[in-house]
Amino acid sequence: MSAPVYLDHASTTPVDPRVAQRMAEVLSAESQFGNPSSSSHSFGDEAAALVESARKQVGVAVGCSADDVLWTSGATEANNLAIFGVAQYYRESRRHIVTARTEHKAVLDPCRELERRGWKVTYLVPDREGLLDPGQVADALQPDTVLVSVMHVNNEIGVVQNIPAIAAVCAQHGAWLHVDAAQSVGKCPVHFSSFGADLMSLSAHKVYGPKGVGALIVARRDVAEGRRSVQFTPLLFGGGQERNLRAGTVATHQVVGMGQAFELASTTSSIETARIAQLQQRLWRGLAAIGGVLRNGSAVHSVPHLLNASFEGVEGESLLAAIRPHLALSTGSACTSALGEPSYVLRALGRSERLSESSLRFGLGRSTTVADIEMAVAVLSREVSRLRKVAGT
Amino acid sequence: MNYNALTRRYFEMPAAAGELSGADVSRGASGSVAAGTWVQFDLQAASTTLQAARFLAFGCPHTIAVAAWLTEQAPGRVLTPALPEGVQALSTRFEVPIPKLGRLLIVEDAWIAAATRALARVNALIKIAP
Repeated sequence: MSAPVYLDHASTTPVDPRVAQRMAEVLSAESQFGNPSSSSHSFGDEAAALVESARKQVGVAVGCSADDVLWTSGATEANNLAIFGVAQYYRESRRHIVTARTEHKAVLDPCRELERRGWKVTYLVPDREGLLDPGQVADALQPDTVLVSVMHVNNEIGVVQNIPAIAAVCAQHGAWLHVDAAQSVGKCPVHFSSFGADLMSLSAHKVYGPKGVGALIVARRDVAEGRRSVQFTPLLFGGGQERNLRAGTVATHQVVGMGQAFELASTTSSIETARIAQLQQRLWRGLAAIGGVLRNGSAVHSVPHLLNASFEGVEGESLLAAIRPHLALSTGSACTSALGEPSYVLRALGRSERLSESSLRFGLGRSTTVADIEMAVAVLSREVSRLRKVAGT
Repeated sequence: MNYNALTRRYFEMPAAAGELSGADVSRGASGSVAAGTWVQFDLQAASTTLQAARFLAFGCPHTIAVAAWLTEQAPGRVLTPALPEGVQALSTRFEVPIPKLGRLLIVEDAWIAAATRALARVNALIKIAP
C-alpha cells in the first residue's frame, strides 16, 4: 500500500532539502563547531557569525530588527517565556492577564498555571467564526492587566486575528501584547513592527525548518515612541547567552536551519499562495458535495493552508480510523483516543461535542497536489457514506 | 489508537450492517448518538433459534466491530436473553481498552433488549398455538 497523503502541515512540515543541506554543512564543517559564545578564538567567532546571520534572516522575514530576535527551543518555550517572564517581572504591581479560549495549549496552560499561583486570567470567547473583536479586548482590560496574549493564525481553524487593532487597544491601555505567530510565517504576511505587538513567538518546524528551535521576538521601543520596552524575567539561568534572557549554548546548526527556512518562507511567491488557495477551494467544494459537512471558522479571515470541517452523522474516532490508511491528518483536537477531549477551539465556537469530535483539520503545504486533494475527497466521500450507513444516520 | 486485526476486519467490512423487517423480527437499542455511542440489533427468530441478525451502530471502531461480529455469530444460535459471548470475553477478543468497556455494556444492553423481545414474542406464539 502506498504512503498516506500528508495533509497535516499545520502540525509539522518536512524539512526543506535546502535547509537540511545548510544544516549539514554547519554540522560537518571543521571550523564551525565552536561555541558561539566563545569569543576568545576563531572557532567561536565563526559560529557566532552564523548565529547572527540567521538572526538577520529571521528579522528580515518577520519585519523586525535582528536584535529583537531571541532564540528559544521552539514556540512553546517562547510562549512560556513571554507569559511567565512578563507576569513574574511585573508581579508586584499587575497580576491580570487576558487571553482567548481558542489559544494553543502552550499559551493556555501557562495561563492556568499562573491562575494556580494567584494571577487572574480573563479568557475571551471569539465569535462563531473564531474572530475576536478588539472591543472585547478593550472591555476585558483592567487597571492591573499586565499582558494580553492573542495568537495571529489559529492552529486548528486557520483564522487570522486583527493584531494591529488589538495592539492599538493594548498600547492605549498600557498592557503588553504577546502574539503567538507559530502558524503564520509563510502562510500570510507577518510584519512585527507593523503589528505593534511587544512580543511574538515563532517556530521553525512549521515553516519547513528543523524541530527544536524557535524564537521570541522582543520589541525594543524608542523613548521617542512614547512607549517603554517590555521587560521580563528569564526562565532559564546558567549563562549570559541571549542578552541574559535565555541561558544555554545556542545550537548553531538549528538556528542556521531556522534562518534559512524563514528566508525561503519570506520569498514564497504569490503564485504559490494562490495555488494553495485554489487547492483549498477545490477541497472545500469536494467536501461540501458529500453533504452534512460544516466548515469551521471564518472562510474570509483565514489562511488558505488550513481548512477545518465537521462531519455530521459520523463518530470522530471511527472517522479517523477509517481514513487513516489513506490520509495523514488530524482531528480538530488531538482526540485520537477514546479518552480524548473534543476540540476546545470548536467548542468555543459553539459547535456541539459530537460535531467537535467528528471534525478534521486539513493542513495544506508545498507538497500538496491536485491529486492529493482529489484522493482526500474520494476517501472521505466513501468512508463518511459507509459510516453513516452503518450508523443509520 | 491501534486496533487488532479482528477489530479492523469487522470495522472495515461490517457485512451485517442494516435492518431487518417482518413480523418475526425483534428490535432492541441502547445508548444515544448525543452521548457518542448508540447500537441497535434486529433479531429474526423462528421458535427459539436465531435465523438472522442485523445491526446499526454509531460509535468507535470497537463498538462497530463487536456489534458486527455478534450479528454474524447469531444465525443458528439458541435464543437467550444474554450475549453469545460475555463482555469480558469480547473485550479480550477485540482488545478493547479498559476505559472503553462501558461501550461494550451498551452493545450488551441493545442485544439483551432485542433478545428479550424476541423471546417474549416466541413465548406468546407458543401459548397461542393449540
